[in-house]
Amino acid sequence: MHTRFQILVFALYSLFLTLYSCRTDDVIYPTIGTHVTDEVRQGGLYVLCEGNMGSNKARLDYMNLESGDYYANWYGAQNPHQVKELGDVGNDIQVYGGKLYAVINCSHKLEIMDLKARRITQVDIPNCRYLAFHHDKAYVSAYVGSVADADMLGSVFEIDTLTMQITREVKVGHQPDELCVLNDRLYVVNSGGYITNRHDSTMSVIDLHTFTETEKIVVGLNPQRLRVDNQGHLWICNENEVRVMNHSALVTIIDLKASNISICGNTAYLLDAENKVLYAYSTEDYNLSPFAINLSPFENPYGLLATDDAIYIADAKNYVSSGVLHCYSLDGKERWTAKTGDIPGHLCRISAAYDLHGDTTPVTHHTSYIKHVYEYMPGMGQFVNELPKYEEGDDAAAMCRKCEAAIGNNAGGMVSLGGWGGYITFGFDHPVENLDGYDIRILGNAYYMSGSTVYGSSEPGIVLVSVDENANGVPDDAWYELKGSLYDKQVYTSRTYTRAGDTLQNPFHTQPYYPQWIAEDAYTLSGALLPSQSTTVSGQVVQTILDYGYADNKPNTDTIGTAFDLSWAVDSIGQPVALTTVDFIRVYTAVDEINNPTGEISTEIIGAIDLHINN
Amino acid sequence: MVRRISLILIFALSAFSVRAQNETDTLINRFQLEEVEVSARALTKDIIVPQTLSGEELQRLNALSVADALRYFSGIQLKDYGGVGGIKTINVRSMGSQHTAVYYNGVQLGNAQNGQVDLGRFSLDNMELIQVYNGQKSDIFQSAREFGAAGNVYLTTRKPYFKTGERAHVRAQMRFGSFALANPNVGVDIKLTDALSLTLDAEYVYSNGKYPFRYKRVLPDGTTAYDTTAIRQNGDINAIRTELGLHHYYRTTGFWRIHAYNYWSERGVPGAIVNNVWRNGERLWDRNSFVQATWQDEWFNRWSTRLLVKYANDYTHYQNYDVQLLPADNEYLQQEVYLSLANKIQVFNWWDLSVAYDYQYNTLKRDEWISGVTDERFYRHSHWFSAATAFNIHEYLRLQASVLMTAVSQQPGQTCNSQQPKITPGVFVSLRPFVHSSIRPLYDLSINAFYKQSYRYPTFNDLYYTDMGNANLRPELARQHSVEVAYRRATKAYDLAFSASYYYNRVTDKIIAYPKGQQFRWTMLNLGTVKINGVDAKADMSFYLPMRFVLRARLNYTYNTAIDVTNPNDSYYGHQIPYIPWHSGSAVGELDYTSRRGDHYGLSYSFIYVGERYAQQENSIYNYVQPWYTHDLSIYGEWTIRRYGLKANIEINNLLGQDYEVIQNYPMPKQNVRCTLAFRY
Repeated sequence: MHTRFQILVFALYSLFLTLYSCRTDDVIYPTIGTHVTDEVRQGGLYVLCEGNMGSNKARLDYMNLESGDYYANWYGAQNPHQVKELGDVGNDIQVYGGKLYAVINCSHKLEIMDLKARRITQVDIPNCRYLAFHHDKAYVSAYVGSVADADMLGSVFEIDTLTMQITREVKVGHQPDELCVLNDRLYVVNSGGYITNRHDSTMSVIDLHTFTETEKIVVGLNPQRLRVDNQGHLWICNENEVRVMNHSALVTIIDLKASNISICGNTAYLLDAENKVLYAYSTEDYNLSPFAINLSPFENPYGLLATDDAIYIADAKNYVSSGVLHCYSLDGKERWTAKTGDIPGHLCRISAAYDLHGDTTPVTHHTSYIKHVYEYMPGMGQFVNELPKYEEGDDAAAMCRKCEAAIGNNAGGMVSLGGWGGYITFGFDHPVENLDGYDIRILGNAYYMSGSTVYGSSEPGIVLVSVDENANGVPDDAWYELKGSLYDKQVYTSRTYTRAGDTLQNPFHTQPYYPQWIAEDAYTLSGALLPSQSTTVSGQVVQTILDYGYADNKPNTDTIGTAFDLSWAVDSIGQPVALTTVDFIRVYTAVDEINNPTGEISTEIIGAIDLHINN
Repeated sequence: MVRRISLILIFALSAFSVRAQNETDTLINRFQLEEVEVSARALTKDIIVPQTLSGEELQRLNALSVADALRYFSGIQLKDYGGVGGIKTINVRSMGSQHTAVYYNGVQLGNAQNGQVDLGRFSLDNMELIQVYNGQKSDIFQSAREFGAAGNVYLTTRKPYFKTGERAHVRAQMRFGSFALANPNVGVDIKLTDALSLTLDAEYVYSNGKYPFRYKRVLPDGTTAYDTTAIRQNGDINAIRTELGLHHYYRTTGFWRIHAYNYWSERGVPGAIVNNVWRNGERLWDRNSFVQATWQDEWFNRWSTRLLVKYANDYTHYQNYDVQLLPADNEYLQQEVYLSLANKIQVFNWWDLSVAYDYQYNTLKRDEWISGVTDERFYRHSHWFSAATAFNIHEYLRLQASVLMTAVSQQPGQTCNSQQPKITPGVFVSLRPFVHSSIRPLYDLSINAFYKQSYRYPTFNDLYYTDMGNANLRPELARQHSVEVAYRRATKAYDLAFSASYYYNRVTDKIIAYPKGQQFRWTMLNLGTVKINGVDAKADMSFYLPMRFVLRARLNYTYNTAIDVTNPNDSYYGHQIPYIPWHSGSAVGELDYTSRRGDHYGLSYSFIYVGERYAQQENSIYNYVQPWYTHDLSIYGEWTIRRYGLKANIEINNLLGQDYEVIQNYPMPKQNVRCTLAFRY
């Protein structure tokens, strides 16, 4: 007995030891190059991600605009020997005189680098905030001076760009932020909002010859942004509005709470982070241009840079996870996105494009959106041959390409699956993993009836998934159904559609309903039929929204209601199947119903998202 | 992943259950005996046995504070900012520190300001018993508020015991250690009358907190990127703790106790080590004082009453005159008045009922001199009403059910959703199939399960923090489901206890800080949902070897996933929440020798492992935190010469000098030593 327990003890202990994974040496964060676009533009773009205070996660990323590759943590790769990396809270980045300057707020330093972001030196400046340049000098605003000050006034430091030493310092207002040089004068806005009884609302004017504050101009509560336009006017974003000033004279007030501003040519772009819109104003007549970018898919629009060929807007998400950089063309179309570090706040364009030499990390980039449509076989219906449009000579493969153009890569178009049994089979550029929780979302055109979440337009489609077991890249493997909430009420059946039966045209849709690319005169579809959910509420024909597990059942705004968990998969006899990944996804219309006057209920697909890939 | 899980399953299956109740440690016995004496026929025993560390076992651990000792429990995640003065808080089963209640001699320690108790401040030197209960203490005779928290840590200080003829005990202890640690401690117990005794305890802690730490990074090819060593600055601490207790036992059924506690400290806040910043200038002063009284008696042999009264007064002064930062000079004064009345009626021998009512009044006065906030006051009234019942069916089956109603009202003018009273249930079941069979007490097996809901109320900081508070916060809800199998076998040669439990918790309406609108305007929102699945396994073993050697071993292992399932569109959806390791565990081995004269010599070794985890919501390489594991060793001797006792102990902590961090950018001490000399009369 005795020894048996001793063996048990020993077994438990050795098991315990084998369970844990050991520490390894901390490897300096590798740079990951990601190809994000095939679009070729000039030069490169630096993205300074702030990182949260105390996290030491300020990160400098670089985008090669010529190759379309985005490099995360470029600074870390260029300067692996820098102790504790770039630092804590990156607050500004600019290029001047062939050098790159970054202000790292909570590391209390101005980092000076060459254009490839290889470190040259640092200048220690306490609580430094923003940068400006003039001739051979750099100017840095700082929340505190080099000597503690009872009034808690901030300072502006002057740094000689040749010796890289501080040459002069001048006291300004409370918590000075952005600054700029105009007509031999340095302007700096005193944001002063941190101390309740010392709110600031001024802009300090500093004479560059004497380096003394000559004036304090009132510019509204808590001014934070300050830029110069091509007319020589100052644009100041304060807590409540944007003021355009000619030195101390007010030119105009734009009634917009702008969290960020970027001026390019004669356009000033103003970011309304609260309402998630980017507006453009003329710097000549201050009129609002009809151009605007709706940023509603953003969580927290933050960094902004307008250049003469693109506009870059960064989404800081929830400020404690990685952000996303979006590139828009000047006509407001989104061109590409790239995943950034935490809080992408500061951007600067350089004219040269670099690649990271010796980078061994393979460039891989998966998109979270549909890549391939393998099959498209709709049931007869009023949108067949229209969504997508059939053209003379199209075969099944051509229709699949049209489906890809409509719903692939987040294009936002729509494909109709037609009457009962009609299906589409699609996939991503990678297998979808079955992880904890939801794995994919499928978007449709369902919506709730006004004021209700019980009724609405629901055209449920059943979702099937398949694994490419024979690895031939073709969906000819076993299918598993994702078990929906009405699984027990489903009846399995089949139906043959014939060209001769194509006589159901309604006044709105008079084209043939039989898929014209099919040579045969009949085809048979099979699957499950859901009971009708249609009912009449307040004179409208609507459907009872199903609980979960069907495509095109709940509105796309419901992120949970349109999500699917691959763990719901069951085989043909209803037994759960444990899938680790799936390669193919099929959706088919699962109701058979024609309503007046809206026509038959057909599942529509707008897109699909792999929830485990972050674009 | 699949492989790893199967390993865990094997482990879980092979390592059954917790130490079953009644027998074991003599000190627990003494403690329980005392409680049992008071209500002899009552069902005082827990139906689900807590994890326990007590008496000598506690003293021999390589641990300075209660927080250090809690590392040896399973299902606990510790946050430690490093050093003697660094803040140390715990999570029970990944539910967040604010779901954990800490009780000092039966009365909850409060912090209405931020809801967290720094367990690094509680010394082990006068501690007799530490217990951790998942769910709640499964004894229905308790104050109403005790039914309210999701995880409970009970700290019980030493009580006086006098042998016949003894009038007083004196304990004097001195501890020295690395980083200029000096820690004298004096305790006096005086028997005033046969029924009335007095205890006094005083302790001083000083450490300069100047420990070396090292940051090393390598390149992917293995060559050193950088390797730097520095000394932690501004981590000094000065603390004085004084306690006074009066214990009066009368008749055989009743007692009253008064306990006064005062803790004063001044410390530096060493801060995060980030690029170009190797020291910080923040200072913190604290004074925590409270007086609490307990009275308990029994009527007609069937009705027990307990009354608790407490007044606490906590002052915090925070200063930041770091020249690089905006200065801060803040003072906070919290006061708390607490009253609890609990009653238990034994209807039949197998059926108990209890009702309890608690009331608490909290105030916070805030002065932030430099930022211009002066004399801001907040207050809160809280009422708890509980009803509970317990059934004991021939010891085979025990059932307990409790319902708690909580009503919280804030100061007038603050509309708050939480004013709606909340009702939370708890159900506990324990089955002991062999309790009356002939094979007992050789074998004891119990199967326990519980379901419990609990709310974590928004703190004053959540509600009113400048520019950030949100008076419309709802309380955060935790639902716990837990099943446990416990097995024990004891003979003259050994005593073995194993247990394994599986739990599933779901935290909804989780209060998180979320940025809103322009720039960094954070606000508190009820946004999060977290799904927690875990397995705890424990083994507690003693082998009575020849030659008066005893070998003890204690193994703990926890595997848990705590997944953020708030919104599938978040980049961290389905990721493990920050600072929760998947794997963690500890192993303690102790060899004790008793000489013929009754002297003790021993060697104790402990190993603690905390697996990989992430510092932020997103499980990316940039947030990865390495596993850490430390080996600690201690040697002790204990001698008795007539009525005088002498004890010496040398501890070496982090024997292999691992450079680790529990919290990112807060380095922990490398190898360090402590020596303790204690004299007892």
